[in-house]
Amino acid sequence: MGLIDEIGERLDALVRDLESSLQGARSDDDVRARAARIVGKKGELTALEKRIREVPPEDRRELGRRINEAKARADRIVEARLAALRAEARRRELEGPALDVTLPGRPRRIGSLHPVRQCEEELLDALQALGFEVADGPEIETTAFNFWKLGFAPDHPATCMQDSFYLRDDVLLRTHTSPIQVREMLSHPPPVRIAAPGTVYRRDDDVTHSPMFHQIEGLLVDEDVTFADMKGILTLFVRRVFGPDTPVRLRPSYFPFTEPSGEIDIGCLICSGRKVGCRVCKGTGWLEVGGCGMVHPVVFENVGYDPERFSGFAFGMGVDRIAMLRFGIGDIRLLYENDVRFLRQF
Amino acid sequence: MRISANWLRSLTQIDVPVDELAERLTRAGVEVEAVERVGEGLDRIVVGAVKSCRPHPERDKLVIVEVDDGTATRTVVCGAPNVPRPPGRVALALEGARVPRRGLPGVVGDLVVARRRFAGIESDGMICSEAELGIGPDAEGILVLDDGAGKPPTQDPSLAPGQPLAQALHLVDHILVLGLTPNRGDCLGHTGVAREVSALFGRPWVPPEPSAPQRADVRRIDEVVSVAVEDAERCPRYAAAAVVSLTIAPSPFWLRYRLFTLGIRPISNVVDVTNLVLLEFGQPLHAFDLDRLAGPRIVVRRARPAETMQTLDGIGRQLTDDDLLICDAQGPVAIAGVMGGAGSEIGPSTKRVLIECAHFEPRGILRTARRLGLHTDSSHRFERGVDPNGVPLALAHAASLMTWLGEGAALPGLIDVYPRPIAPRTLRLRPGRLSKVLGSPVDSTQAASILERLGCTVASRGDDLDVTVPTSRSDISREIDLVEEVARVRGYEAIPTRYPSIRTGPPTPRAYPFRQRARHTLAALGLDEAVSYSFVSPRDLEAFRLPPVALPLSNPLSEERSVMRTSLLPGLCRAVARARRVREERVRLFEVGRVFLGWEKPGAATPAREKLWAALVMAGPRDAYLERAAEVDFFDAKGLAIELCRDLTGVAPSIRLCSEVDRLPWLHPRSACVIEAAQKVVGRVGELHPDVIESLDLGGPVAVVEADLDALRTVRGERRFAPLPRFPAVSRDVALLVDESVRAADITRVVGASSGELLESIELFDVYRGEQIPPGKKSLALSIRYRAADRTLTDAEVDSLHATVLGGLVDDLGGQPR
Repeated sequence: MGLIDEIGERLDALVRDLESSLQGARSDDDVRARAARIVGKKGELTALEKRIREVPPEDRRELGRRINEAKARADRIVEARLAALRAEARRRELEGPALDVTLPGRPRRIGSLHPVRQCEEELLDALQALGFEVADGPEIETTAFNFWKLGFAPDHPATCMQDSFYLRDDVLLRTHTSPIQVREMLSHPPPVRIAAPGTVYRRDDDVTHSPMFHQIEGLLVDEDVTFADMKGILTLFVRRVFGPDTPVRLRPSYFPFTEPSGEIDIGCLICSGRKVGCRVCKGTGWLEVGGCGMVHPVVFENVGYDPERFSGFAFGMGVDRIAMLRFGIGDIRLLYENDVRFLRQF
Repeated sequence: MRISANWLRSLTQIDVPVDELAERLTRAGVEVEAVERVGEGLDRIVVGAVKSCRPHPERDKLVIVEVDDGTATRTVVCGAPNVPRPPGRVALALEGARVPRRGLPGVVGDLVVARRRFAGIESDGMICSEAELGIGPDAEGILVLDDGAGKPPTQDPSLAPGQPLAQALHLVDHILVLGLTPNRGDCLGHTGVAREVSALFGRPWVPPEPSAPQRADVRRIDEVVSVAVEDAERCPRYAAAAVVSLTIAPSPFWLRYRLFTLGIRPISNVVDVTNLVLLEFGQPLHAFDLDRLAGPRIVVRRARPAETMQTLDGIGRQLTDDDLLICDAQGPVAIAGVMGGAGSEIGPSTKRVLIECAHFEPRGILRTARRLGLHTDSSHRFERGVDPNGVPLALAHAASLMTWLGEGAALPGLIDVYPRPIAPRTLRLRPGRLSKVLGSPVDSTQAASILERLGCTVASRGDDLDVTVPTSRSDISREIDLVEEVARVRGYEAIPTRYPSIRTGPPTPRAYPFRQRARHTLAALGLDEAVSYSFVSPRDLEAFRLPPVALPLSNPLSEERSVMRTSLLPGLCRAVARARRVREERVRLFEVGRVFLGWEKPGAATPAREKLWAALVMAGPRDAYLERAAEVDFFDAKGLAIELCRDLTGVAPSIRLCSEVDRLPWLHPRSACVIEAAQKVVGRVGELHPDVIESLDLGGPVAVVEADLDALRTVRGERRFAPLPRFPAVSRDVALLVDESVRAADITRVVGASSGELLESIELFDVYRGEQIPPGKKSLALSIRYRAADRTLTDAEVDSLHATVLGGLVDDLGGQPR
């Protein structure tokens, strides 16, 4: 047997040794340490490589081939062992104990929107979809805009019903959003179609009345606008807000700035018209959600519109009441106490 | 307004189920808010005839009454002092009857009548008071039935013993509770509602005719009393009648019951008659004791400045020259249309009565009633308009009833001072207008018929109608009012529903979308939305050391809510204090709302300066995970302030310490900052001043941001796309020891200056003080990213650049690399 074969056998033996040695390796480092003893710089296989000079030149090429092949095999064995260890580790990790997934998630909390403002938005979204633009006006208003231009008469019970907070004889906190109508019509020629949300104030304070509350008002003025159109728009509006099958009825009423005027009733949201024993609609099957009417000619006269040429309608709703109905809130005062335990629920 | 269905039925002769009646009225705008049933549930309570009455042998206060129940005689023990002599009629509850006892204060639940012994005598039934039966207020004695005129019954078959009481006394009735709009003064009496009902059910309306009173032929009324009206504008009509030789007594049961069920306390025959006429015609009356009127003479005049009088509720009233008075020869005896005076009140010994039936100008009555805080049945009606031409009917009716019930006689004649009679109005109604308003054609004959049923007279004038409106409907004064009458009587359901196309005008800039966005951004940043009252206590503003520019309310509900807020912080901090009280530690709140900064100049578009602000407050621990976190501080607020402004404007704002600390006195001076965007101050951020925290009991640090949304709305950051980088960035970390006085902004400035446009970003990722760091120093760890837009930076290039940067930090800031 020539030297080349002797070295060749030795190479095979080293590779076999490596293979069996790696079986016992339990970590990547261990694998590398054991491999280094054979294929490292000072390893036995590396040492054998140096003996290439001892073989005859014509065999050197063959030996070089055998050495490279042995090294490649050794590399494969190491890689395979490392892969096996990784697989083992992955298997152990996957089979490990579950996390305590009942621990809370890391907090990422979005804040809440106030229930009244949420309802305000919903109502405005519906009105905007019907072509109304959102307008606003001051909360501190003159009696002229708040009352007289709207056809309220001084010393009339309708004026006194809206018991007001005054700042001066002729300046008060607006008692309704209707002065926005006047401001809009004074500053824009027809056609007018606005939705006016706003904070309003009346001098009342009990379980069902807050001295501050919210209204939304709609106004549409153009040529040839009729009561029939008002019924149509209100029906569309109410159904967008309260659901597509909500019954709507208008019932005659009185406001100084509209005529004919009406209350807007919708089918009771709580008992859905079953009536009996319903405390919310008091057994009537109907809930009053707002008022409406054809703009009174006196209002048109006061803003310089020709009442023979233009007509229109206005309607308004109390947002607080709708929010209370929607969320089942019994006491209006909760709305403005800002108890964090209350606010976080919305 | 309470309306008796029985009374209504007798006035209209229309007999429909009460629910149908209520529904029809409601659909015509006379809202029936509730229907109450009265006089029900009195089963086994019958008319009893007293046969005898003798004292109880053992108990002083009890009597033993033998009562005929129609079939047998029962022995009943009774404690009342007013058992009538035989054959007096009483309300007898038989064994098993349920006595509701509703009229008795402090008693709850029915009493079931059973045989019971009282000191040895067995009582077989119970004789009841009206309060026990819930049919009257009187709990003093038992109910003694009368003949309808207040006398003991004689042979009245309706009071035969054994008859169910409810049937004998016509107790069962429905009360319609009307929620009237203020224009419908005409429905404040039963005849007005009766006319409305007749119109709704298409029947002709016949007003009641008074029966003529019994006359005494002594002297005519105008020989006995004179009337002078000095202010005919405030008192267009003053009429009076007199009834003499009468006896004051309790009213008969039917009258007491009618008043009781309609919510008025029965007093005596004379007073009850004035109230009955009020309820029937809606016409307030006043009865004076004629013998207590000086003169006797009536003068209707304005009060003199500082004049006073005592009203019959016993309260002394301070009057002004805007108040109208009824006076006698000596002084005021009533505040016209509001309340009578104590001096001329009807009493038990009154023999001669002067009945006032007048018409007062509504606005004057309202001003007086409001100024005095006196809202009475009378003022309520005069304010809403009473028919000036209904006066004679009501007065005659009252006089007639008083002569009957008081067994008196009316003086012949009538005083009626009515210098300028108020005539009915005639209005023109164009049928075309009717269909133009309602949106569908309305038959002109139908319109005319509706108006006639409402009491109008209608005459054709070509295509148009001339409509004469009765003076009871002072609310109908223009054509549109007639349109409404026709529309509501037809019913709104008769009007079709149409879906119009909406014509739009040119767009107008509106503030709403911006406000909306601000609220949604703040909520997205984890804050809960609060809404606080716009009025606060002046002490709240003081606590925040806010300048005293607040607008005060003239008539606040309380001191707590008496001035308009100039800042959103007081409201939000109240919520923080509230959260502390209920042991809620973590508070993150915002509010978007108006603040009120003083009066505008005369001629401005709005009376006051109103600005839209957003504010947020944070208190309690920072968000943490499975550990106790530190309390929020300035930097939490700063982070939110920047994100809010960036989101709203597209521009990152700059936050700088406020140089004039006095301008933000509610903030801690160490971190009181203003927020600037596009060279405008748009808000402020900081921690509340410790004094503020202490005075408001906030219990710990509170970090706040205030943003002027009106100002932010004008900051226009153009959102432009920046091309994505095509070449990689290189990061280098630096650890640097610097003096405490070196600020983060200094580092940014120096690094920026020495690296030029190759600097991409600087991230400060650690600030360390403590072990191994000398006092007065701090160790900063920075990560600096470099990038070139047009090439990949080489290692050599970055090394050299970074060395320059380090050199800059060492030279300019005295930093020592670590």
